[in-house]
Amino acid sequence: MSLRKFLALTRAGIMESLHYRLGTIVTLFANLIYLVLVYYLWKAVYASSGVEQVNGMTFTDTMIYLILATALFNFLEMFVVWDMSRSIQSGKIILDLLKPMDFRSYTFWSYSGSHVVSFVLTFIPTFIVVMIVTRGAIHMGLNLLYFAISVVLALLINFGIEMLVATVCLYTESTWGINIVKETIVLLLSGASIPLAFFPERIRDVIGYLPFRAVYDIPLTVLLGKGGSDSLAGLIKLWGLQFIWAVVLYVAGVLFWNHSVKKITVNGG
Amino acid sequence: MADEAILMKNVCKDFKVLNRHEGLKGSIQDLFSRDYRTVSAVKDVSVTVNKGEIVGYLGPNGAGKSTTIKMMTGVLEPTSGQILVNGLVPYKDRTRNCENIGVVFGQRSQLWWSLPLIESFKLLRDIYLVPQKEYEDMIALYRSLVDIEPILHKPVRQMSLGQRTLSDILAAFLHNPGIVFLDEPTIGLDVSMKSKIRDLIRGLNKEKHTTVILTTHDMGDVDALCRRIVIIDKGKKIYDNDIEHLKSYFGSYRTLRMRLGDDTWEERVIDEKTTDVMEVISQMQKTHKIKDIQLQEISTEEVIKKIYEGGSL
Amino acid sequence: MNKRGLTFYLSIYRKVLIQDLKSKMSYRADFVISTIGMIMTNLAGFITFMILFHNFPTINGWDYHHMLFLYGFSLVALTPVQCFFDNNWNLRFMVQSGDFIKYCFRPINVFFYFMSEVFDVKGLGQLAFGLGTLIYAWHHTGIPVTILTVSQAILFLLTASLFMIAIMNAAAATCFWIQGSGYVMVIMFRFKDFAKYPANIFSGIFKVVFTFIIPIAFVAYYPSLVLLTPSSVPLLSWLSPAIGILFFFLSYKFWMLGVSKYDFTGS
Repeated sequence: MSLRKFLALTRAGIMESLHYRLGTIVTLFANLIYLVLVYYLWKAVYASSGVEQVNGMTFTDTMIYLILATALFNFLEMFVVWDMSRSIQSGKIILDLLKPMDFRSYTFWSYSGSHVVSFVLTFIPTFIVVMIVTRGAIHMGLNLLYFAISVVLALLINFGIEMLVATVCLYTESTWGINIVKETIVLLLSGASIPLAFFPERIRDVIGYLPFRAVYDIPLTVLLGKGGSDSLAGLIKLWGLQFIWAVVLYVAGVLFWNHSVKKITVNGG
Repeated sequence: MADEAILMKNVCKDFKVLNRHEGLKGSIQDLFSRDYRTVSAVKDVSVTVNKGEIVGYLGPNGAGKSTTIKMMTGVLEPTSGQILVNGLVPYKDRTRNCENIGVVFGQRSQLWWSLPLIESFKLLRDIYLVPQKEYEDMIALYRSLVDIEPILHKPVRQMSLGQRTLSDILAAFLHNPGIVFLDEPTIGLDVSMKSKIRDLIRGLNKEKHTTVILTTHDMGDVDALCRRIVIIDKGKKIYDNDIEHLKSYFGSYRTLRMRLGDDTWEERVIDEKTTDVMEVISQMQKTHKIKDIQLQEISTEEVIKKIYEGGSL
Repeated sequence: MNKRGLTFYLSIYRKVLIQDLKSKMSYRADFVISTIGMIMTNLAGFITFMILFHNFPTINGWDYHHMLFLYGFSLVALTPVQCFFDNNWNLRFMVQSGDFIKYCFRPINVFFYFMSEVFDVKGLGQLAFGLGTLIYAWHHTGIPVTILTVSQAILFLLTASLFMIAIMNAAAATCFWIQGSGYVMVIMFRFKDFAKYPANIFSGIFKVVFTFIIPIAFVAYYPSLVLLTPSSVPLLSWLSPAIGILFFFLSYKFWMLGVSKYDFTGS
């Protein structure tokens, strides 16, 4: 019953995303150019270093990692913070809160459609191109399934972070500011701008336990079969970390949200 | 120069729209579709507006009013036909055309959101190169027409909708343009604000002989301000004459109100050309007791409603 | 037409800017948070750079200080686009909602009027960061400090800034044709991160692409060579001011073409 309601939102989201038809094609194209940039930069970097592997990452590994991180970034991208700030400024937030559906689930499922579309239309093609360019360097086996599971968990964590930051919008008008702080931290500490494997070891130890890593680094590590994910124990450890963060962020998000919403109800719209 | 402020001759405007399909499957089809259709927003419209006139430009939603205004302001290029505004071709000479027009698009403020009104005025003075003397005279005129003190030092974003509209109208007249376009200026305003705004528009038109093109859905605006109206429907001009003429055209329509025995009022709109009023009354008397009778002239609102509903005349 | 010349536009810009800054003062919290955000992005960029060098001491024959010079150069060159052309980011929202039409009713250039509305103060933080890096690297690369080199630096920094402005103008203008084109701007803005690497890493067709189509090679690399390798400056470096002006002009024309093609039905 309730799932049907949610799937209706997914469907509506898919249709809305497809509405922007050229936008989708342009996104894919831009990703391919980005791929070229990453390719040349890291080719030069590895060529200059004269070694095959740096911190366990070969040139191919690094490339796959960074390009798929970008593709994941498109796929996971949500504008909850901006949406929230706009709906607060226009007063629409009151209507959103009055919807006969939990606000968090509503937001999550509204975005699910665009996630599906960008997965099919940008992530998969990018993945295929990476496969072609690297001549099938990505192992095609169970790791794809593990990767998929990891991505779903990443999606939940990402949503948790988005919601938590979006709630801050209830307190300040500085949307740009908080959004850029969030984006910077996530991109740097999740490995989307430079693989975490390159970070100095002590820093890496700390980052390893933060939730940001669970968004990009863990799914990609799992896909590449690195970081102990080739063994079941290692895999469960990574998934466990993701799962714990998903739960923690969910609980923290609900508590913070409920607390903050009380505040606006008291203040009156 | 001629007396015409605006001259439109056989103006047409077409848009290309993608045919969208329904449902999820349709959305996927649309991704690759090249299936466009042409929509004519304005079809062969000719209008002449003289200097100093206030013309009500009416029509149901989606009739092509905004498109016409956008063409007259030089934002859109007509597909065919000729437009001259103050003797200029608007879309070819957008910048020069803009010097001599003012525009207010209901609910959409054109002022600097975060600046106090007076600072916006000063910027506009500089942008339109208004001499200081004329600027001061204009501000003085504003003061005599409306109480601007409470809003002058308020940032636009802190204003109520009414104050914002008022500010936008004042800003549109600031450089003393030949023509001012007002697109639904009283939309969403309360009764007292509406009448304030109407007084202001009338006052400015009288003082400065500014031509005003007014689009609105509020017949109160039309009755208060316009002598002449142009009605457009589905892109075609269907009426262009005095408002009085409109009423006399429809003068044969009257509303007959009868108070019946149980003190309820029964209303009939009667076309005197085809129906006899007395006939209706006597017919009614056969079945009901009639205590009182009123015969009312039809209001502009109702005439317009009839036109919109009935299509062309 | 001549009555609205360069002086007119400069004076209008100055007036809008002063008023805008005044009103921004009233949002102190926003200013502080945004500045923190800006510092953090720059810091994150710097950390990425340091991590890269921690693992790979040279890139295509460029050592640490030369790379740092290029990095600082790119930051400074990216300041004007941040400060003066930031309103490009709002373009698609305005176009979609139809609010964009208001820019067409004034007797001044639409592009100018639109851009004048936002001056992004945060960009100044980036300028400071970039200048600091540039001066530090300048000192360590042993480039002499003469009137010639300093004026070359100013000229070629200005030149370099034109390219990113052109890229962002063109990226923003896509919204006149394509709905949901927001990502074009996001990705172009991320491309700028590659401006801080020597462009000779590219080869073949892509060398042409990143030089003449998406000209990131000009955002720092070519203009900075005038200072970094004064003995063998490539022709493209010397030509970069002219090419920069051309790119800016083309992007401006593209932007204005979008305005004229847009049918303002979004309402």
